[in-house]
Amino acid sequence: MLGEIKLSEGLREYLSKMPDLDLDLLLEAYRRPLPTSFRVNTLKMDEYEILEMLKEKGVSFKKIPWARYGYVVENNSIDLGKTLEHMLGLIYIQAPISMVPVEVLDPKPGERILDLCAAPGSKSTQIAQLLNGLGVLVANDISFERVKALASNLQRFGVLNVIITLMDGRKFPRFAHECFDKVLVDAPCSSLGIVSKNWGIARSWSPEIAKRLSKVQRQLIVAGFDCLKPGGELVYATCTLTVEENEMVIQHLLEKRENAVLKEIDLPSLKYRCGIVEWNGTKFDEELRKTIRVMPYDNWAEGFYVARILKEGDS
Amino acid sequence: MKLLSPRERKFLENRLKGLYGVEEGFNDLVLIKCGRGRIRATTKETLELASRLRGIQQIGLYVMKISNGDISLSVEGSQLLNDEIKENVIELDEERVEKWMKAIPIKTETTYHGRYVIGKFNRLYLGSARVSRNGLLYPQIPKWRRIPIAKNSE
Ligand SMILES: C[S@@+](CC[C@H](N)C(=O)[O-])C[C@H]1O[C@@H](n2cnc3c(N)ncnc32)[C@H](O)[C@@H]1O
Repeated sequence: MLGEIKLSEGLREYLSKMPDLDLDLLLEAYRRPLPTSFRVNTLKMDEYEILEMLKEKGVSFKKIPWARYGYVVENNSIDLGKTLEHMLGLIYIQAPISMVPVEVLDPKPGERILDLCAAPGSKSTQIAQLLNGLGVLVANDISFERVKALASNLQRFGVLNVIITLMDGRKFPRFAHECFDKVLVDAPCSSLGIVSKNWGIARSWSPEIAKRLSKVQRQLIVAGFDCLKPGGELVYATCTLTVEENEMVIQHLLEKRENAVLKEIDLPSLKYRCGIVEWNGTKFDEELRKTIRVMPYDNWAEGFYVARILKEGDS
Repeated sequence: MKLLSPRERKFLENRLKGLYGVEEGFNDLVLIKCGRGRIRATTKETLELASRLRGIQQIGLYVMKISNGDISLSVEGSQLLNDEIKENVIELDEERVEKWMKAIPIKTETTYHGRYVIGKFNRLYLGSARVSRNGLLYPQIPKWRRIPIAKNSE
Protein backbone atom coordinates (compact mmCIF):
# COMPACT_ATOMS: atom_id res chain seq x y z
CA MET A 1 0.00 0.00 0.00
CA LEU A 2 1.28 3.48 -0.83
CA GLY A 3 1.14 5.99 1.99
CA GLU A 4 -0.93 9.12 1.72
CA ILE A 5 0.59 12.21 0.15
CA LYS A 6 1.36 14.96 2.66
CA LEU A 7 1.35 18.68 1.97
CA SER A 8 3.25 21.04 4.23
CA GLU A 9 1.09 23.47 6.22
CA GLY A 10 2.42 26.35 4.15
CA LEU A 11 1.56 24.62 0.87
CA ARG A 12 -1.97 23.73 1.94
CA GLU A 13 -2.61 27.32 2.92
CA TYR A 14 -1.02 28.67 -0.27
CA LEU A 15 -2.99 26.40 -2.58
CA SER A 16 -6.26 27.19 -0.82
CA LYS A 17 -5.83 30.82 -1.85
CA MET A 18 -5.13 30.12 -5.50
CA PRO A 19 -7.90 30.97 -7.93
CA ASP A 20 -9.07 28.33 -10.36
CA LEU A 21 -7.43 25.41 -8.50
CA ASP A 22 -9.15 22.17 -7.55
CA LEU A 23 -7.22 20.73 -4.61
CA ASP A 24 -8.84 17.28 -4.78
CA LEU A 25 -7.95 16.91 -8.43
CA LEU A 26 -4.45 18.20 -7.75
CA LEU A 27 -3.92 15.57 -5.05
CA GLU A 28 -5.23 12.89 -7.35
CA ALA A 29 -2.80 14.00 -10.07
CA TYR A 30 0.06 13.99 -7.56
CA ARG A 31 -0.80 10.39 -6.63
CA ARG A 32 -0.69 9.17 -10.24
CA PRO A 33 2.68 8.38 -11.83
CA LEU A 34 3.59 10.55 -14.81
CA PRO A 35 2.99 8.97 -18.22
CA THR A 36 6.11 7.68 -19.98
CA SER A 37 6.79 9.60 -23.14
CA PHE A 38 9.61 10.18 -25.59
CA ARG A 39 10.71 12.07 -28.67
CA VAL A 40 12.15 10.31 -31.68
CA ASN A 41 15.46 11.75 -32.86
CA THR A 42 15.18 12.74 -36.48
CA LEU A 43 18.79 13.99 -36.42
CA LYS A 44 19.83 10.33 -36.46
CA MET A 45 17.18 8.40 -38.32
CA ASP A 46 13.85 8.59 -40.01
CA GLU A 47 10.89 8.92 -37.60
CA TYR A 48 9.01 6.02 -39.15
CA GLU A 49 11.99 3.65 -38.91
CA ILE A 50 12.55 4.41 -35.24
CA LEU A 51 8.88 3.86 -34.46
CA GLU A 52 9.00 0.55 -36.28
CA MET A 53 11.97 -0.57 -34.18
CA LEU A 54 10.00 0.21 -31.03
CA LYS A 55 6.89 -1.55 -32.29
CA GLU A 56 8.95 -4.66 -32.93
CA LYS A 57 9.91 -4.59 -29.26
CA GLY A 58 6.23 -4.56 -28.35
CA VAL A 59 6.06 -0.88 -27.36
CA SER A 60 2.75 0.72 -28.25
CA PHE A 61 2.40 4.48 -28.24
CA LYS A 62 0.25 7.41 -29.23
CA LYS A 63 1.26 10.73 -30.82
CA ILE A 64 1.42 13.72 -28.47
CA PRO A 65 -0.61 16.32 -30.36
CA TRP A 66 1.23 19.40 -29.05
CA ALA A 67 4.81 18.22 -29.67
CA ARG A 68 6.44 17.36 -32.95
CA TYR A 69 8.08 13.93 -32.73
CA GLY A 70 6.57 13.34 -29.27
CA TYR A 71 4.86 10.08 -28.28
CA VAL A 72 3.31 8.75 -25.10
CA VAL A 73 3.72 5.08 -24.25
CA GLU A 74 0.46 3.16 -23.84
CA ASN A 75 1.84 -0.09 -22.42
CA ASN A 76 4.70 0.03 -19.97
CA SER A 77 5.98 -3.40 -21.00
CA ILE A 78 9.67 -2.49 -21.14
CA ASP A 79 11.98 0.00 -19.50
CA LEU A 80 12.68 2.42 -22.36
CA GLY A 81 15.76 3.73 -20.56
CA LYS A 82 17.49 0.37 -21.05
CA THR A 83 16.76 -0.06 -24.74
CA LEU A 84 19.16 0.08 -27.64
CA GLU A 85 17.08 2.94 -29.06
CA HIS A 86 17.71 5.01 -25.94
CA MET A 87 21.41 4.15 -25.64
CA LEU A 88 21.98 5.02 -29.29
CA GLY A 89 20.10 8.29 -28.99
CA LEU A 90 17.32 7.32 -31.37
CA ILE A 91 14.80 8.35 -28.73
CA TYR A 92 14.90 10.82 -25.87
CA ILE A 93 12.76 10.10 -22.83
CA GLN A 94 10.99 13.30 -21.84
CA ALA A 95 7.73 13.98 -20.02
CA PRO A 96 4.89 15.26 -22.23
CA ILE A 97 4.33 18.79 -20.88
CA SER A 98 8.08 19.37 -20.68
CA MET A 99 7.95 19.37 -24.50
CA VAL A 100 5.69 22.45 -24.52
CA PRO A 101 8.19 25.31 -23.87
CA VAL A 102 10.34 24.44 -26.90
CA GLU A 103 7.25 24.09 -29.08
CA VAL A 104 6.33 27.63 -27.99
CA LEU A 105 9.89 28.82 -28.69
CA ASP A 106 9.57 27.23 -32.12
CA PRO A 107 13.25 27.10 -33.16
CA LYS A 108 13.89 27.51 -36.88
CA PRO A 109 16.94 26.19 -38.75
CA GLY A 110 19.63 28.88 -38.91
CA GLU A 111 18.75 30.62 -35.64
CA ARG A 112 21.12 31.26 -32.75
CA ILE A 113 19.49 29.98 -29.60
CA LEU A 114 20.50 30.24 -25.96
CA ASP A 115 19.20 27.71 -23.43
CA LEU A 116 20.19 29.52 -20.25
CA CYS A 117 19.36 26.79 -17.68
CA ALA A 118 19.88 23.73 -19.84
CA ALA A 119 20.88 20.70 -17.77
CA PRO A 120 20.23 17.81 -18.12
CA GLY A 121 19.25 18.73 -21.66
CA SER A 122 15.72 17.55 -22.49
CA LYS A 123 14.86 20.89 -24.00
CA SER A 124 18.33 21.48 -25.46
CA THR A 125 18.09 18.27 -27.47
CA GLN A 126 14.60 19.27 -28.57
CA ILE A 127 15.88 22.67 -29.73
CA ALA A 128 18.78 21.00 -31.55
CA GLN A 129 16.39 18.68 -33.31
CA LEU A 130 14.31 21.57 -34.61
CA LEU A 131 17.42 23.51 -35.70
CA ASN A 132 18.27 20.43 -37.74
CA GLY A 133 22.00 21.14 -37.86
CA LEU A 134 21.68 24.77 -39.00
CA GLY A 135 22.30 27.68 -36.68
CA VAL A 136 23.81 27.32 -33.22
CA LEU A 137 22.60 26.20 -29.82
CA VAL A 138 24.31 27.44 -26.68
CA ALA A 139 23.41 25.18 -23.76
CA ASN A 140 24.37 26.67 -20.41
CA ASP A 141 24.02 25.63 -16.79
CA ILE A 142 25.51 26.71 -13.48
CA SER A 143 26.05 23.21 -12.07
CA PHE A 144 29.21 21.29 -12.99
CA GLU A 145 27.63 17.91 -12.14
CA ARG A 146 24.54 18.63 -14.20
CA VAL A 147 26.62 19.93 -17.13
CA LYS A 148 28.21 16.47 -17.33
CA ALA A 149 24.77 14.93 -17.85
CA LEU A 150 23.94 17.68 -20.35
CA ALA A 151 27.09 16.90 -22.33
CA SER A 152 26.32 13.16 -22.36
CA ASN A 153 22.77 13.73 -23.54
CA LEU A 154 23.81 16.10 -26.33
CA GLN A 155 26.49 13.63 -27.45
CA ARG A 156 24.08 10.72 -27.51
CA PHE A 157 21.58 12.83 -29.42
CA GLY A 158 24.25 13.60 -32.05
CA VAL A 159 24.29 17.41 -31.87
CA LEU A 160 27.09 19.07 -33.85
CA ASN A 161 26.10 22.71 -33.67
CA VAL A 162 26.23 23.15 -29.91
CA ILE A 163 28.38 24.98 -27.40
CA ILE A 164 28.11 23.88 -23.78
CA THR A 165 28.94 26.51 -21.20
CA LEU A 166 29.24 26.37 -17.42
CA MET A 167 28.26 29.74 -16.08
CA ASP A 168 25.90 31.61 -13.83
CA GLY A 169 23.27 32.58 -16.39
CA ARG A 170 22.91 35.97 -14.75
CA LYS A 171 26.36 36.89 -16.08
CA PHE A 172 25.64 36.02 -19.70
CA PRO A 173 24.78 39.53 -20.95
CA ARG A 174 28.27 40.72 -20.00
CA PHE A 175 29.62 39.08 -23.15
CA ALA A 176 26.56 37.95 -25.12
CA HIS A 177 24.44 41.11 -25.16
CA GLU A 178 21.89 41.03 -28.04
CA CYS A 179 23.55 37.96 -29.47
CA PHE A 180 20.65 35.49 -29.86
CA ASP A 181 17.51 35.14 -31.97
CA LYS A 182 15.81 33.15 -29.26
CA VAL A 183 16.35 32.42 -25.57
CA LEU A 184 14.85 29.76 -23.34
CA VAL A 185 14.82 30.35 -19.60
CA ASP A 186 13.68 27.07 -18.07
CA ALA A 187 14.28 28.31 -14.58
CA PRO A 188 15.12 26.44 -11.38
CA CYS A 189 11.86 26.31 -9.43
CA SER A 190 10.03 24.76 -6.49
CA SER A 191 8.73 21.95 -8.75
CA LEU A 192 5.10 21.81 -7.59
CA GLY A 193 4.16 20.61 -11.07
CA ILE A 194 6.10 17.36 -10.72
CA VAL A 195 5.25 16.23 -7.19
CA SER A 196 4.12 12.86 -8.57
CA LYS A 197 7.81 12.13 -9.25
CA ASN A 198 8.76 12.96 -5.67
CA TRP A 199 6.18 13.45 -2.94
CA GLY A 200 8.84 14.98 -0.73
CA ILE A 201 8.54 18.23 -2.71
CA ALA A 202 5.04 18.82 -1.30
CA ARG A 203 6.06 17.88 2.23
CA SER A 204 8.99 20.27 2.38
CA TRP A 205 7.61 23.22 0.36
CA SER A 206 7.52 26.59 2.09
CA PRO A 207 6.68 30.12 0.91
CA GLU A 208 10.29 31.10 1.69
CA ILE A 209 11.55 28.60 -0.93
CA ALA A 210 9.33 30.18 -3.58
CA LYS A 211 10.44 33.69 -2.57
CA ARG A 212 14.12 32.78 -2.69
CA LEU A 213 13.76 31.18 -6.11
CA SER A 214 11.68 34.09 -7.36
CA LYS A 215 14.65 36.39 -6.82
CA VAL A 216 16.98 34.22 -8.92
CA GLN A 217 14.29 33.75 -11.58
CA ARG A 218 13.84 37.52 -11.93
CA GLN A 219 17.56 37.97 -12.44
CA LEU A 220 17.72 35.11 -14.92
CA ILE A 221 14.83 36.33 -17.04
CA VAL A 222 16.27 39.85 -17.30
CA ALA A 223 19.68 38.39 -18.21
CA GLY A 224 18.12 36.12 -20.82
CA PHE A 225 16.15 39.03 -22.25
CA ASP A 226 19.29 41.17 -22.52
CA CYS A 227 20.95 38.44 -24.58
CA LEU A 228 18.17 38.66 -27.18
CA LYS A 229 18.56 40.57 -30.41
CA PRO A 230 15.82 43.15 -30.99
CA GLY A 231 12.98 41.31 -32.67
CA GLY A 232 13.97 38.11 -30.88
CA GLU A 233 11.80 35.98 -28.61
CA LEU A 234 12.23 34.55 -25.14
CA VAL A 235 10.30 31.72 -23.56
CA TYR A 236 10.18 31.53 -19.78
CA ALA A 237 9.07 28.27 -18.23
CA THR A 238 8.86 26.58 -14.84
CA CYS A 239 7.37 23.32 -13.65
CA THR A 240 5.75 24.95 -10.65
CA LEU A 241 2.47 26.61 -9.71
CA THR A 242 3.32 29.58 -7.49
CA VAL A 243 2.58 33.12 -8.63
CA GLU A 244 5.88 34.36 -7.17
CA GLU A 245 7.84 32.09 -9.52
CA ASN A 246 5.64 32.65 -12.53
CA GLU A 247 3.48 35.73 -13.17
CA MET A 248 5.45 37.90 -10.74
CA VAL A 249 8.68 37.08 -12.61
CA ILE A 250 7.14 38.16 -15.90
CA GLN A 251 5.64 41.28 -14.27
CA HIS A 252 9.15 42.13 -13.05
CA LEU A 253 10.56 41.85 -16.58
CA LEU A 254 7.77 44.02 -18.03
CA GLU A 255 8.59 46.68 -15.45
CA LYS A 256 12.36 46.49 -16.00
CA ARG A 257 12.39 46.34 -19.81
CA GLU A 258 9.84 48.43 -21.64
CA ASN A 259 10.52 46.71 -24.96
CA ALA A 260 9.35 43.36 -23.50
CA VAL A 261 5.97 42.44 -24.95
CA LEU A 262 3.91 39.35 -24.17
CA LYS A 263 2.71 37.24 -27.08
CA GLU A 264 -0.18 34.81 -27.35
CA ILE A 265 0.52 31.11 -27.05
CA ASP A 266 -1.49 28.86 -29.27
CA LEU A 267 -1.28 25.13 -28.67
CA PRO A 268 -4.34 23.34 -29.91
CA SER A 269 -5.28 20.17 -28.04
CA LEU A 270 -3.29 21.02 -24.89
CA LYS A 271 -5.48 21.81 -21.90
CA TYR A 272 -4.42 24.91 -19.98
CA ARG A 273 -5.67 28.11 -18.39
CA CYS A 274 -4.49 31.70 -18.66
CA GLY A 275 -2.09 33.48 -16.33
CA ILE A 276 -3.23 35.05 -13.04
CA VAL A 277 -3.58 38.86 -13.03
CA GLU A 278 -4.41 39.50 -9.39
CA TRP A 279 -2.74 37.98 -6.33
CA ASN A 280 -2.80 38.91 -2.64
CA GLY A 281 -4.52 42.20 -3.46
CA THR A 282 -1.95 43.20 -6.10
CA LYS A 283 -3.04 43.67 -9.69
CA PHE A 284 -0.64 42.73 -12.50
CA ASP A 285 -0.50 43.77 -16.13
CA GLU A 286 -3.60 42.41 -17.92
CA GLU A 287 -1.28 41.15 -20.65
CA LEU A 288 -0.25 38.38 -18.28
CA ARG A 289 -3.40 36.58 -19.36
CA LYS A 290 -1.41 35.64 -22.44
CA THR A 291 0.85 33.41 -20.36
CA ILE A 292 -0.31 29.86 -19.71
CA ARG A 293 -0.70 27.66 -16.65
CA VAL A 294 -0.95 23.94 -17.14
CA MET A 295 -2.26 22.17 -14.03
CA PRO A 296 -1.15 18.56 -13.42
CA TYR A 297 -4.78 17.43 -13.72
CA ASP A 298 -5.38 19.30 -17.00
CA ASN A 299 -3.66 16.60 -19.02
CA TRP A 300 -2.86 14.12 -16.22
CA ALA A 301 0.81 14.91 -16.63
CA GLU A 302 3.15 17.59 -15.22
CA GLY A 303 2.15 21.10 -14.23
CA PHE A 304 3.94 23.90 -16.07
CA TYR A 305 3.90 27.66 -16.57
CA VAL A 306 4.97 29.15 -19.90
CA ALA A 307 5.31 32.73 -21.12
CA ARG A 308 6.34 33.94 -24.55
CA ILE A 309 7.96 37.37 -24.77
CA LEU A 310 9.01 39.43 -27.75
CA LYS A 311 11.83 41.96 -27.61
CA GLU A 312 10.45 44.83 -29.64
CA GLY A 313 12.73 46.54 -32.11
CA ASP A 314 14.10 46.05 -35.59
CA SER A 315 15.88 42.78 -36.08
CA MET B 1 40.94 23.20 -27.54
CA LYS B 2 42.74 23.78 -30.82
CA LEU B 3 41.84 23.28 -34.45
CA LEU B 4 43.55 20.53 -36.42
CA SER B 5 46.23 22.04 -38.66
CA PRO B 6 45.88 21.37 -42.42
CA ARG B 7 48.75 18.87 -42.12
CA GLU B 8 47.13 17.01 -39.25
CA ARG B 9 43.84 17.00 -41.10
CA LYS B 10 45.44 15.57 -44.21
CA PHE B 11 47.09 12.84 -42.15
CA LEU B 12 43.77 12.01 -40.50
CA GLU B 13 41.97 11.84 -43.83
CA ASN B 14 44.61 9.51 -45.20
CA ARG B 15 44.27 7.25 -42.19
CA LEU B 16 40.48 7.22 -42.46
CA LYS B 17 40.86 6.24 -46.08
CA GLY B 18 43.43 3.55 -45.36
CA LEU B 19 41.57 2.01 -42.42
CA TYR B 20 37.93 2.42 -43.36
CA GLY B 21 37.89 3.37 -47.05
CA VAL B 22 36.43 6.79 -46.23
CA GLU B 23 36.81 9.16 -49.20
CA GLU B 24 35.07 12.36 -48.18
CA GLY B 25 35.54 12.37 -44.43
CA PHE B 26 34.22 15.21 -42.31
CA ASN B 27 34.08 17.51 -45.30
CA ASP B 28 32.49 20.80 -44.23
CA LEU B 29 33.04 20.33 -40.54
CA VAL B 30 35.63 21.90 -38.31
CA LEU B 31 37.76 19.41 -36.34
CA ILE B 32 39.00 20.34 -32.89
CA LYS B 33 41.69 18.66 -30.79
CA CYS B 34 40.63 18.22 -27.20
CA GLY B 35 43.55 16.40 -25.61
CA ARG B 36 44.88 12.83 -25.54
CA GLY B 37 44.22 12.31 -29.26
CA ARG B 38 40.53 13.05 -28.91
CA ILE B 39 38.83 14.94 -31.70
CA ARG B 40 35.51 16.76 -31.81
CA ALA B 41 33.60 17.98 -34.84
CA THR B 42 31.42 21.05 -35.20
CA THR B 43 30.21 23.58 -37.75
CA LYS B 44 32.00 26.80 -38.75
CA GLU B 45 29.11 28.90 -37.47
CA THR B 46 29.33 27.23 -34.07
CA LEU B 47 33.03 27.91 -33.82
CA GLU B 48 32.52 31.55 -34.77
CA LEU B 49 29.97 32.08 -32.02
CA ALA B 50 32.20 30.26 -29.53
CA SER B 51 34.88 32.92 -29.94
CA ARG B 52 32.48 35.36 -28.25
CA LEU B 53 31.49 33.22 -25.30
CA ARG B 54 32.99 32.37 -21.91
CA GLY B 55 32.86 29.33 -19.67
CA ILE B 56 32.97 26.95 -22.61
CA GLN B 57 33.12 23.29 -21.55
CA GLN B 58 32.63 21.59 -24.89
CA ILE B 59 31.90 22.29 -28.51
CA GLY B 60 30.16 19.95 -30.95
CA LEU B 61 30.43 16.17 -30.99
CA TYR B 62 33.17 13.82 -29.86
CA VAL B 63 33.91 11.85 -33.03
CA MET B 64 37.14 9.91 -32.61
CA LYS B 65 40.36 9.18 -30.82
CA ILE B 66 43.60 8.82 -32.71
CA SER B 67 46.70 7.19 -31.29
CA ASN B 68 49.76 5.98 -33.19
CA GLY B 69 47.80 6.31 -36.43
CA ASP B 70 44.99 4.04 -35.24
CA ILE B 71 41.53 5.55 -35.19
CA SER B 72 38.74 4.60 -32.83
CA LEU B 73 35.45 6.20 -33.89
CA SER B 74 32.77 7.11 -31.36
CA VAL B 75 29.20 5.98 -32.01
CA GLU B 76 28.36 9.44 -33.35
CA GLY B 77 31.63 9.70 -35.30
CA SER B 78 30.79 6.52 -37.18
CA GLN B 79 27.20 7.67 -37.71
CA LEU B 80 28.41 10.96 -39.19
CA LEU B 81 30.65 9.14 -41.66
CA ASN B 82 27.87 6.63 -42.24
CA ASP B 83 28.08 4.86 -45.58
CA GLU B 84 31.38 6.53 -46.38
CA ILE B 85 32.71 3.67 -44.25
CA LYS B 86 33.55 0.85 -46.64
CA GLU B 87 36.05 -1.40 -44.86
CA ASN B 88 36.77 -2.91 -41.48
CA VAL B 89 33.09 -3.20 -40.63
CA ILE B 90 31.46 -6.02 -38.72
CA GLU B 91 27.76 -6.58 -39.35
CA LEU B 92 25.99 -7.47 -36.11
CA ASP B 93 22.84 -9.48 -35.63
CA GLU B 94 20.36 -8.78 -32.84
CA GLU B 95 22.11 -10.97 -30.32
CA ARG B 96 25.53 -9.48 -30.98
CA VAL B 97 24.29 -5.89 -31.03
CA GLU B 98 23.02 -6.43 -27.46
CA LYS B 99 26.49 -7.64 -26.50
CA TRP B 100 28.10 -4.71 -28.30
CA MET B 101 25.99 -2.19 -26.40
CA LYS B 102 26.77 -3.96 -23.12
CA ALA B 103 30.50 -3.80 -24.03
CA ILE B 104 30.75 -7.59 -23.77
CA PRO B 105 33.65 -8.98 -25.89
CA ILE B 106 32.52 -10.58 -29.15
CA LYS B 107 34.20 -13.57 -30.80
CA THR B 108 35.16 -13.27 -34.43
CA GLU B 109 36.74 -15.54 -37.00
CA THR B 110 37.48 -12.76 -39.46
CA THR B 111 40.83 -10.99 -39.49
CA TYR B 112 40.75 -7.23 -39.66
CA HIS B 113 43.50 -4.80 -40.50
CA GLY B 114 44.19 -2.09 -37.96
CA ARG B 115 43.50 -2.15 -34.24
CA TYR B 116 39.83 -1.22 -34.51
CA VAL B 117 36.75 -2.42 -36.33
CA ILE B 118 33.42 -0.60 -36.73
CA GLY B 119 30.12 -2.23 -35.72
CA LYS B 120 27.01 -2.00 -37.85
CA PHE B 121 23.46 -3.09 -37.10
CA ASN B 122 21.01 -2.82 -39.99
CA ARG B 123 21.78 0.66 -41.28
CA LEU B 124 23.19 2.01 -38.04
CA TYR B 125 26.87 2.36 -37.21
CA LEU B 126 27.81 1.74 -33.59
CA GLY B 127 31.35 3.05 -33.15
CA SER B 128 34.52 0.98 -32.77
CA ALA B 129 35.66 -2.17 -31.05
CA ARG B 130 39.29 -2.95 -30.31
CA VAL B 131 40.54 -6.04 -32.09
CA SER B 132 42.59 -8.33 -29.86
CA ARG B 133 44.99 -11.04 -31.01
CA ASN B 134 42.90 -13.77 -29.40
CA GLY B 135 40.05 -13.17 -31.86
CA LEU B 136 37.92 -11.09 -29.52
CA LEU B 137 36.45 -7.67 -30.24
CA TYR B 138 36.14 -5.26 -27.33
CA PRO B 139 33.39 -2.69 -28.06
CA GLN B 140 34.41 0.81 -26.96
CA ILE B 141 31.01 1.86 -25.66
CA PRO B 142 31.47 4.36 -22.83
CA LYS B 143 30.14 3.21 -19.45
CA TRP B 144 27.41 5.84 -19.28
CA ARG B 145 25.66 4.57 -22.38
CA ARG B 146 25.96 0.83 -22.02
CA ILE B 147 22.84 -1.29 -21.79
CA PRO B 148 23.04 -2.53 -18.19
CA ILE B 149 23.77 -6.23 -17.78
CA ALA B 150 20.97 -7.98 -15.90
CA LYS B 151 22.25 -9.34 -12.57
CA ASN B 152 21.31 -12.98 -13.18
CA SER B 153 22.70 -13.21 -16.73
CA GLU B 154 26.31 -13.90 -17.85
C1 LIG C 1 14.41 23.13 -14.44
S1 LIG C 1 16.08 22.73 -14.55
C2 LIG C 1 16.39 22.80 -16.26
C3 LIG C 1 15.91 21.59 -17.03
C4 LIG C 1 16.42 21.58 -18.46
N1 LIG C 1 16.04 22.80 -19.14
C5 LIG C 1 15.90 20.39 -19.22
O1 LIG C 1 14.90 20.53 -19.96
O2 LIG C 1 16.49 19.31 -19.14
C6 LIG C 1 16.85 24.21 -13.98
C7 LIG C 1 18.36 24.26 -14.14
O3 LIG C 1 18.79 25.58 -13.81
C8 LIG C 1 20.11 25.48 -13.34
N2 LIG C 1 20.43 26.78 -12.67
C9 LIG C 1 20.13 27.18 -11.42
N3 LIG C 1 20.59 28.42 -11.21
C10 LIG C 1 21.19 28.83 -12.36
C11 LIG C 1 21.87 30.01 -12.77
N4 LIG C 1 22.02 31.06 -11.95
N5 LIG C 1 22.39 30.05 -14.03
C12 LIG C 1 22.25 29.00 -14.87
N6 LIG C 1 21.62 27.86 -14.53
C13 LIG C 1 21.09 27.77 -13.30
C14 LIG C 1 20.08 24.27 -12.45
O4 LIG C 1 21.39 23.74 -12.27
C15 LIG C 1 19.16 23.32 -13.25
O5 LIG C 1 19.91 22.46 -14.03
